[in-house]
Amino acid sequence: MPSRRVTVTSPQTRLAHARRRVLTAWRPPVLDPADVQHAMRVYTAQRRRAVLPLVLLVGLLLGLPALLAAFPGLDQVRLLGIPVSWLAMATLPYPLMVGLAAWQLRRAEHAEADDQA
Amino acid sequence: MIAFLSVAPVVLVTLLIGLRGIAAMRTTSDFLVASRRVSPLLNSAAVSGEYLSAASFLGVAGLVVKDGMGALWYPVGFTAGYLAMLVLVAAPMRRSGALTVPDFAVARLASQSLRRLSALVVLVIGGLYLVPQFRTAGLVLSAVSGSEYWVGVVIAAAAVSITLALGGMRAATYVQAFQFYLKLILFIVPAIWLLIQAGPQVRHEAVYPVEFTHFAKDTPVDFQLDVTLELREPTEVIRPDGTRETVPPGELRAPAGTTLVFAEGTPVPLPRGGAVPGGPDWQRPLLDLRHTGYPLLGTWAILIATMLGTMGLPHVLVRFHTSPDGRAARRTAAITVGLLSIFYLIPGIYGTLAKVLVPQLYLAGTTDTAVVALPSQVEVGGWGNVFTGLLTAGAFAAFLATSLGLLLVVSGAIAHDLLPGGLNRLRGTVFAAAAAVVMLALPSARLDAGVLVTWGFTVAASTFCPLLVLGIWWSRLTKAGALAGVTVGLLASAGAIAATLFGGELSGWQAILVAQPAPWSVPLAFVTMIGVSLLGRPPTWAAAAMLRLHLGEQQPARPGLGRDLGHSTWQARRSSAVRRITRRLGR
Repeated sequence: MPSRRVTVTSPQTRLAHARRRVLTAWRPPVLDPADVQHAMRVYTAQRRRAVLPLVLLVGLLLGLPALLAAFPGLDQVRLLGIPVSWLAMATLPYPLMVGLAAWQLRRAEHAEADDQA
Repeated sequence: MIAFLSVAPVVLVTLLIGLRGIAAMRTTSDFLVASRRVSPLLNSAAVSGEYLSAASFLGVAGLVVKDGMGALWYPVGFTAGYLAMLVLVAAPMRRSGALTVPDFAVARLASQSLRRLSALVVLVIGGLYLVPQFRTAGLVLSAVSGSEYWVGVVIAAAAVSITLALGGMRAATYVQAFQFYLKLILFIVPAIWLLIQAGPQVRHEAVYPVEFTHFAKDTPVDFQLDVTLELREPTEVIRPDGTRETVPPGELRAPAGTTLVFAEGTPVPLPRGGAVPGGPDWQRPLLDLRHTGYPLLGTWAILIATMLGTMGLPHVLVRFHTSPDGRAARRTAAITVGLLSIFYLIPGIYGTLAKVLVPQLYLAGTTDTAVVALPSQVEVGGWGNVFTGLLTAGAFAAFLATSLGLLLVVSGAIAHDLLPGGLNRLRGTVFAAAAAVVMLALPSARLDAGVLVTWGFTVAASTFCPLLVLGIWWSRLTKAGALAGVTVGLLASAGAIAATLFGGELSGWQAILVAQPAPWSVPLAFVTMIGVSLLGRPPTWAAAAMLRLHLGEQQPARPGLGRDLGHSTWQARRSSAVRRITRRLGR
């Protein structure tokens, strides 16, 4: 017997989908005091660890162009025929940024793991 | 024919992957964030695939021809953005549990007005970013196949909106991840072939550039748009019927759709207000925006705009929400830095080769097509055609992947944040938004893709970047402060764009700061946000709302705390207890 196909879901899911999501009242976020202390430790640890990579990154991005602007002679020095200043702009930043990303990823994950130990 | 053979498979595969994603989609969460089940490895490929737009695949090499070697700073800023995201934004933002960027405003500050304002900003950025994608799709297709401009625009819009409406974020994820590797291969292999095939003469000239002052051979230049050239000396032009004609010095108007052939040995004319590629300024590794004479400031302005803008791009941020948890989001950012670093080593090769082989594109203002124009310069027919086809396919993949993500966030902003509705409204909105973008893209063929995209970055950097950074790291941020900061950032960046479009001519460093307002508009937005927040008082739950974002997924086990969270322990969970602990944050 042909009949209309219906989606089978649990009653709760059906209710949740039928409700207009936006109109649910907003409730202030609640944290358990024990969680708060844990979160505070993680937060301060992460904030401390974020400073150095940011300083290095900004230093690289603002410093390298400044360096190339200050030493125009680098345009004449050549490595394998390519001006060193071009290499410094188009290739050097990438390995540095990859290294910085790997280093910071390890630090940030340790900061979360250390706190649990 | 080449165009059809290369573009059709890319479009078909995109649609097929979209069809696969139809199953199991019932909620807006399924549609907008792929049910948050995307692993870091897949997600980082999808982030990179989405991010490598036409601006990266074609634009950077074109900018090298037009503005000089300094244009290679753009990709450095693009990549640096993900490093900043890894350090500051990725994990905490994912832990907010939001579906869209405006959702984050609600999760952190409980402000519906900020949500609507953020949705508006998403629409502005989406428009600035989507129009150039569709425009370049139309231009590249018409350059390769000779079809009308609007055909390419409509094909791109149809492929993107059908895939997205069918498969939502899940389809977008697989398409973007697949297209990242496709683009990587289609970018690297032709580059190697070009380097080998170009011969020692061209390779030598690529690293020892000479100023493009005289045509080395009879050079045809296709004008797709009206261009006025300045002739400094009598110039010999070959008419289509083969007659030679000497045009006296002065202005030469080239209407759209015409081809001028400049005879061998004639001096190169100047487009209005430009300089020819290859000169000493062109060779400097700094970006002298608009030839103002402040190359270092111009370079810094671009780096700041691209790095901080990446942190605020809504279609990139929403990709991080598809990660299962904050840890995975952070890993996604780290892997993305690596993937982009591989890709961005290549545009320099195309740029320097294009300067040697197709510098005349500069005259017609179509340097965007430099990459696809290269293979036929090295070998006519045969492999030249094959590689033109491959590069066209890669460029088209770039439009599709980026447009998918952008159309998704634009639809999400409309149908989830502005006029909340269910899944069907989201799907309908996708088509409506695509149609609107097509309408905007049809008259915008003249606009420079790179400029529009950079403006998108600038708006993102001046609005969402401060909102996210302060929202995640500063507990005293208030609703009023965030509203004021986002408004000021939006007005400042949009005002500077309007001044560039309609204002008078400026010179020197003012010209740079109006054309690239990020160096002052971002600090202005930060200062406004902090200043207005300090005038008010954050709500009592503000510290808890911020700390929640830093709480890792694996909670330390607390045995013996089998408490019923809703009832008996409510006393211990009072906000006053939390406030007592978080008080030292304010100091």
